[in-house]
Amino acid sequence: MTGKDGDLDARIATLLADPQYEGHPLREALDALRVRMACQLARIEKITAVSDGFQMMARHRELSMAEQFDRQLKRLSKIVAISDRYQEVLRDQNQAVIDASYHDALTELLNRRGLSERLRERCDLAVREARGFCVAMVDVDHFKQVNDTYGHQAGDRALVALGRVMTTELPEYGFCGRWGGEEFVIVLEDPDLLAARATLERLLAAIRDMRVPVGDSSLALTVSVGVAQHKPGEALALTLNRADIALYDAKQSGRNSLGLERQQT
Amino acid sequence: MSENLSMNDLSIAGTPSTPAISTDAASGVLSLSGDSYPENSFELFGPVITWVENYLSETDAPLRLELELLYLNTSSVKAVMEIFDTLEAAHARGRDVSVNWYFDQNNERVGELAEEFKEDCTFPFAVIGRP
Repeated sequence: MTGKDGDLDARIATLLADPQYEGHPLREALDALRVRMACQLARIEKITAVSDGFQMMARHRELSMAEQFDRQLKRLSKIVAISDRYQEVLRDQNQAVIDASYHDALTELLNRRGLSERLRERCDLAVREARGFCVAMVDVDHFKQVNDTYGHQAGDRALVALGRVMTTELPEYGFCGRWGGEEFVIVLEDPDLLAARATLERLLAAIRDMRVPVGDSSLALTVSVGVAQHKPGEALALTLNRADIALYDAKQSGRNSLGLERQQT
Repeated sequence: MSENLSMNDLSIAGTPSTPAISTDAASGVLSLSGDSYPENSFELFGPVITWVENYLSETDAPLRLELELLYLNTSSVKAVMEIFDTLEAAHARGRDVSVNWYFDQNNERVGELAEEFKEDCTFPFAVIGRP
């Protein structure tokens, strides 16, 4: 209560106590007003006390809510972190599946799907660089006889060995893969057919020298190869077709040899 | 304490997208194994969480989780964390609870993820690589 209010209270008390105003109607009214004011004041104080308490309660609840919020937030970020890691695992697995789908399970070389994909990319590059490349079709000679004589397991091992020789003998640039069965495709960066022939002749020699152990002895293989040059912009199927014809020529000329695409007339 | 009266054990066969779930109230074991990316994880894990809560409130016996979980989607991660929270609270009350999380040693990242789950747990939690 302020000083002014205190002065007023004192003045009223003095006036009410003064006997000269005894029986005056204003004195009674003033007394009644003073009592009412005291009651109102008590009520206001009570309400203030209650609302202070309510505010304290609210503040407590707010605090515990803040704590809960922090805890939930921590939990949520943990869920997100773990979930992200699971997703990473999944993405890597997905990549592994894609890699697997592009590779031959037996020889681990590119399979037909992988070769097709890489060849398509290579064709696009040929257009951009206006520079072709060479494609060789490789077919194992009399492979059915190998299987019939030594068994399928030995035949499989021979294909694996063949794949290994190809990857080690071929130049760093370029790629090869298993087109299917006992047929392979080799892509050489150099578009020059004669350069391709020199490279592939070395490969043929390495394959002739290769021995695949079978029991106490070993088996040897030969292959026939047909080479064609891909011209920038031409359909890949056309190049492969010319390489196929060249391969056919090599087979016709006694196998264990290399055929270049026929010169266009 | 009257055990198992209201404990209906769960036995749910696994599918490619949901783990195999089995409980054994008699020996106090809950097992989850496999991948978990269910369409409705609440439907799948709801009964599991209920089973854990009932087991902990209706018995005094130890509870052991045998986990062999592989891939978990986000809602499954949340469900598993909820189970661990329940175990953590029980552990704070002095209950004997534990987790054994097995993983194939060839799949090390599953083990790393199990370790991440383990991080804030104070009850016995073993991450066990199997050859």
